[in-house]
Amino acid sequence: MKTVDRILKSINTIPAFPATGNKVTQLLKKPDYSVTEVANVIKFDPSITANILKMANSTYFGSRQRISTINDAVVYLGQQNLLRAIQTAGVSKYYKKGAQGYYDKVTDLWEHSVAVALMSQIISKKITGQEDTVLYTAALLHDVGKIIMGEFVREALPKISALVSTQRVSFVEAEEIVIGINHAELGGKIAAYWNFPAEIREAISFHHRPDLLQKEEKTMPWIVYIADQACLMLGFGGGIDGLSYRAIDQVFKKFNLRMKDLEMSMVMLTDDLNHARELISII
Amino acid sequence: MSDLIVGISDIKVSNNANDVIVTYALGSCIGVVVYDPLAKVGGMLHYMLPDSTLDQNKAKDNPAMFADTGIPLLFKTCYKLGAEKKRMLVKAAGGASILDDTNYFRIGQKNIMAMRKIFWKNNVMIEKEDTGLNFNRTIRLEMSTGKVFIRSSGGEMREL
Repeated sequence: MKTVDRILKSINTIPAFPATGNKVTQLLKKPDYSVTEVANVIKFDPSITANILKMANSTYFGSRQRISTINDAVVYLGQQNLLRAIQTAGVSKYYKKGAQGYYDKVTDLWEHSVAVALMSQIISKKITGQEDTVLYTAALLHDVGKIIMGEFVREALPKISALVSTQRVSFVEAEEIVIGINHAELGGKIAAYWNFPAEIREAISFHHRPDLLQKEEKTMPWIVYIADQACLMLGFGGGIDGLSYRAIDQVFKKFNLRMKDLEMSMVMLTDDLNHARELISII
Repeated sequence: MSDLIVGISDIKVSNNANDVIVTYALGSCIGVVVYDPLAKVGGMLHYMLPDSTLDQNKAKDNPAMFADTGIPLLFKTCYKLGAEKKRMLVKAAGGASILDDTNYFRIGQKNIMAMRKIFWKNNVMIEKEDTGLNFNRTIRLEMSTGKVFIRSSGGEMREL
């Protein structure tokens, strides 16, 4: 079997994504939802329940009330933070083993993913004036392809490194040349297998090359791109791929950003990360 | 032997020969290492951005975030442990960039230039430097010998 086919086939071995986030989103849309109803949906998944309680009192979520039960979380976190906590808990399950082949430590990929998710909200606020929970989920999942690609990257590393170091080929381009698929595209396929909506799938698939997505009006892949580059620059969960990705300068013009805005976002991110330690420590 | 870990926007200094000062995953940030071989005092700064005028309140709270406030603080903190400027050896690593580093993503380059300018202005030589390119670096300073070791992601540890 060709390597690409082996990789694509192994997508089917990943457990289904917990439906909790979706169900809660639907419930919260109803004008007459009850707290118990929402809490019961969450409690149906014990691992999500445990992780939400670990994260609920982080300064990042900013509740002034002490949260010790799922009912408290539903009442005091606020809808957006509740959804973020549910998605963070849901995604974390798949990142427990990290992505050997890319990273020295098992926790590196998770640290990087949380940092990019937090950064996506800072950039979204700067560009659109508001935070965005769907974007948060996309950012958290942007590197999900690495959980499968890791072992293949490890095998192919000498060839990939040779391309990256001598020919100024980016890491995703080298993955594609050597293995036949890159981690971004593979991540998009995993998100499709999990039935995530198109905007999340595209943000994952195009997170290194948002300029190749022929949909000018879509901002999500661009924001994930900026957030990812910033976190790579800051070394948050830095891996074997290092900073070997393409700079797409037009992103700054597109959103009317200055270099100072990027620097300021980095300063804000270090604060947010200090307030979100509980999110990183759940794996 | 204990490892003193330097986080992002952080400084650690020591006069204990048993210590090793380490910083992990430098991307476009820069790690500056100083060591006084006579006093056996040394320290490491891991700064994030070149210039504190970006946010002076932040710089007051945490001078180690910026080159222009962090580097002087690194020296002053070492003086308190008995180091002297004229004996201090300086090494630096980091300042990596993403590919086709164009105008707006060139924070690594700006960090390198800011550091060189500060040392040049203060008549301090940078003895060894491993900066630029596009990979992450880890730096270790052995307090007993003053030796500095660098490891790039996936690579071997080597002396700087």
